[in-house]
Amino acid sequence: MDIYLQQLPQQLVNGLTLGGVYALIAIGYTMVYGILGMLNFAHGEIYMIGGFTGWWVLYLLTKSNEVIMHAALVISLMIIAAMAVSALVGMLAERVAYRPLRNAPRINLLLSALGVSIFLQNLVLNYQGAKVRSFHISSLIPESLRVIQIGPAVFSFMRALVIVITFLLMGLLALMIKKTKVGKAMRATAQDIEAAAFMGVDVDRIVVLVFLIGSALGGAAGTLVGLLFTQVDYYVGFQAGLKGFTAAVLGGIGNIYGAMLGGILLGLAESLAVTFLPSAYKDVVAFVILITVLIVRPWGLMGEKIPEKV
Amino acid sequence: MEAYLTKIRSGHLNRKIRLAAIGMVLLIAPILMPNNYWLRIYTMTGLWVMLSLGLNIVAGFAGLLDLAYVAFFGIGGYIFALLSSAQLNIHLPFLLVLPLSAIITMGIGIVLGSTSMRLKGDYLAIVTLAFAQIFKLLLLNLDTPINITGGVNGLFAFDPISLFGLKIISFEAYAYLIWFFAALVAVGSFRIKNSRFGRGWEAIREDELAAEAMGVNTTWMKLTAFAGGALIAGATGALFASFQDSVFPNNFDFPQLVIVYCMVILGGLGNITGVILGAIFLSILPEFLREYGAYRMMSYGLILIALMALRPQGIMGQVEFLLKKKKRPDKDDSGRLKDSTALYYEKHRSEILSSGGPEIFSKSNAVILELDGVTQDFGGIKAVDNLSFKLHEREILSIIGPNGAGKTTVFNLISGIYAPSEGSVYFEGAEITGFKPHQVVNAGIARTFQNLRLFNKMNVLDNAKVAQFCRTKAGPLSILFHLPLHRREEKETDQKAKEILNLFGTRLTGYRYDQQALFLSYANRRRMEIARALATNAKILLLDEPSAGMNPQETIEITGFIKRLRDVFGYTILLIEHKLNVVKTISDRVIALDYGIKIAEGSYEQVACNAQVIEAYLGRRRQSAC
Repeated sequence: MDIYLQQLPQQLVNGLTLGGVYALIAIGYTMVYGILGMLNFAHGEIYMIGGFTGWWVLYLLTKSNEVIMHAALVISLMIIAAMAVSALVGMLAERVAYRPLRNAPRINLLLSALGVSIFLQNLVLNYQGAKVRSFHISSLIPESLRVIQIGPAVFSFMRALVIVITFLLMGLLALMIKKTKVGKAMRATAQDIEAAAFMGVDVDRIVVLVFLIGSALGGAAGTLVGLLFTQVDYYVGFQAGLKGFTAAVLGGIGNIYGAMLGGILLGLAESLAVTFLPSAYKDVVAFVILITVLIVRPWGLMGEKIPEKV
Repeated sequence: MEAYLTKIRSGHLNRKIRLAAIGMVLLIAPILMPNNYWLRIYTMTGLWVMLSLGLNIVAGFAGLLDLAYVAFFGIGGYIFALLSSAQLNIHLPFLLVLPLSAIITMGIGIVLGSTSMRLKGDYLAIVTLAFAQIFKLLLLNLDTPINITGGVNGLFAFDPISLFGLKIISFEAYAYLIWFFAALVAVGSFRIKNSRFGRGWEAIREDELAAEAMGVNTTWMKLTAFAGGALIAGATGALFASFQDSVFPNNFDFPQLVIVYCMVILGGLGNITGVILGAIFLSILPEFLREYGAYRMMSYGLILIALMALRPQGIMGQVEFLLKKKKRPDKDDSGRLKDSTALYYEKHRSEILSSGGPEIFSKSNAVILELDGVTQDFGGIKAVDNLSFKLHEREILSIIGPNGAGKTTVFNLISGIYAPSEGSVYFEGAEITGFKPHQVVNAGIARTFQNLRLFNKMNVLDNAKVAQFCRTKAGPLSILFHLPLHRREEKETDQKAKEILNLFGTRLTGYRYDQQALFLSYANRRRMEIARALATNAKILLLDEPSAGMNPQETIEITGFIKRLRDVFGYTILLIEHKLNVVKTISDRVIALDYGIKIAEGSYEQVACNAQVIEAYLGRRRQSAC
């Protein structure tokens, strides 16, 4: 127990980092669900593609193993490129696979999303191979900055960076949704897509925008996790997708703030559980949370229970 | 008539010829295979056919997106492996292990199903996906501390199958064995599809709430679909394990799930022939495209996307459509144009206006349904507030009130879609408060929906037959073996459904029996709603705006029809209606609601002259109201 208490601050830091990333992924699920009422199975792959994009940028910029530009610039470029590519892929998927099915039965939409997921995963497998790519970040950060000690908790520089970036992105999104005209249109579309269309909102554009934002955040998460755990392969999207979805459901699917809260709670729960469980079963924690929430409180922590209309 | 009979006979003959041909193919095919390689593919195809047919029950018939399906396949395989190998040193005979694998898998399916049955669509998909992940984790990690699953190395070297002293070792023997079971599953699929189970599942797939409100125990039926799928997956897993003589975790992984989904979707969800062909096609195709093997999974992804966008009903839908003889609904059998609506009414005027039979029934004084202080609270908004009223036997009682007065909520409370926050509902003296909708139907109360919730993709006859679900009892065994109970019930269901549809004259009969509800005209869909409620053998009908959207002629007709339902057939009717003419014509009594509160009750004249009612409708007092 003593050892556990000693580890607690460190696990909290780890959990917060992980949770921030989960929250970023969860936002993508929740935004799409909020507007189209569909589960975007392919979101995990979008995240994975973000990770690969970040890796490629890093690889190309540090090829000669000498620092050709400032580390901050490299990391910014990685994240921006990842967000751009993921956003593009997300929008393409919407255009090709989801838009034609907007009025189709739900199961068709789900199956189409499953198809997109399989396609993207195997596309990357075919052209990037199955081997794990490592992020060589050691050259990026000066020795003196790698570890930051605050009390009993040790922040690696990357952890601190990831926390700052995730919370910055979430803050920006919250601002956009609350304060801008587009944000208002998005909220209206989420409530009632037809009514929003009748009020002059171009709902097709809003849907595209939702995919753009959600996918961009997912892509950013992919690169941030790459920076944090220094690895990416074609299969990471599957697990990450499930985690992100769990976070979204935990917070109340459709609710963006819920996704943020759910992500952070899930990250904390996982880090704390690692102390008790064999690491092979670490992932079971998320599934157990998911199944429990779905059975006990399917509308999540911050979602509303809405009686079905007859 | 003579020609009709010959047609039936030849149809019957055709079926026999077809069955014989399929039997011949199954007998000869293993011999015709050029080498063991192709014989192996032939046998694997049989396994895929079985596996897809099992998934077709869950995803195709019942419309449940079960992503744990491949885990059930694996569970069957591993149970077989553990019960007939040296791993745990258990060596049970095949004839025991096969049913055991299937039944244990089904048990696990039921457990998983019962925890997640409350979940809909996407949630079910993700929970089952999570379950499949946990299953894979267990397979990979249960080699320590005690070695059960063998971890990554899997399990191998199982006892050879011995059937009545006959050892199944050769490829030919496996080919016959596995295709025998595949054929069995196919026959079972056809039988279950054309039964109360098949119709119940299809109704759930089309509209779960409406299915429940028509007397289908949806929770139970979804569970049976889940269990049926797991049963077949488990059996297939056991056969697969024996055939491969080994099991590995990656035999039962995501790619296999995707492949079997592609097979089912390619053939068309719920379309048995299509699914079989889809499975055969996708099993053999990769053999011709082996140099492109790397792109296999990628193309499965594309197949899913393309099929969903272009042909969600699968490739087979088209073929069946071509085979069907086209009928022009606007012409009769001799090819003459039928009367337009206006002409039709002109001709049938007298018949429509008369109640068409002796008026034998009228309102009695016995109470059949009673609401006592019923309140429905939606988080502070009381949609229905302390409502009490009595409905008498064979009475026509109308509920009127402005939009949002809580009329439909009253129906939802009676029919069990909502459980009231307070108060009780009694039917024939017994309390039915908190009953589930299908239990309410079972008791004898059926409803229609204001905004039409027919089972759109089912034909007219089947729409009516679904309503007989709660009046029939045949279980899976009775259906699979065509036992007398099932045969008798099917006959009765058919008769009952036709009898009810015939009440509407020719509108829902003849060629319309086979027409999808989707293609009915608006007024006919309204009639179909009523027919479906009638077909539940209900005593009380709750009709929610039966004349909404109908033109004046149709309104007169439906009004007469509702009156006839009471006068001639003795139904008790609770009616929500906005058209006051209709209310005036047929109501014995009227209740007016406003903001969930009963503001008036009595004869039409009494209610219509009530000051509060006038205010609710017109917003101000009228001076010379009555």
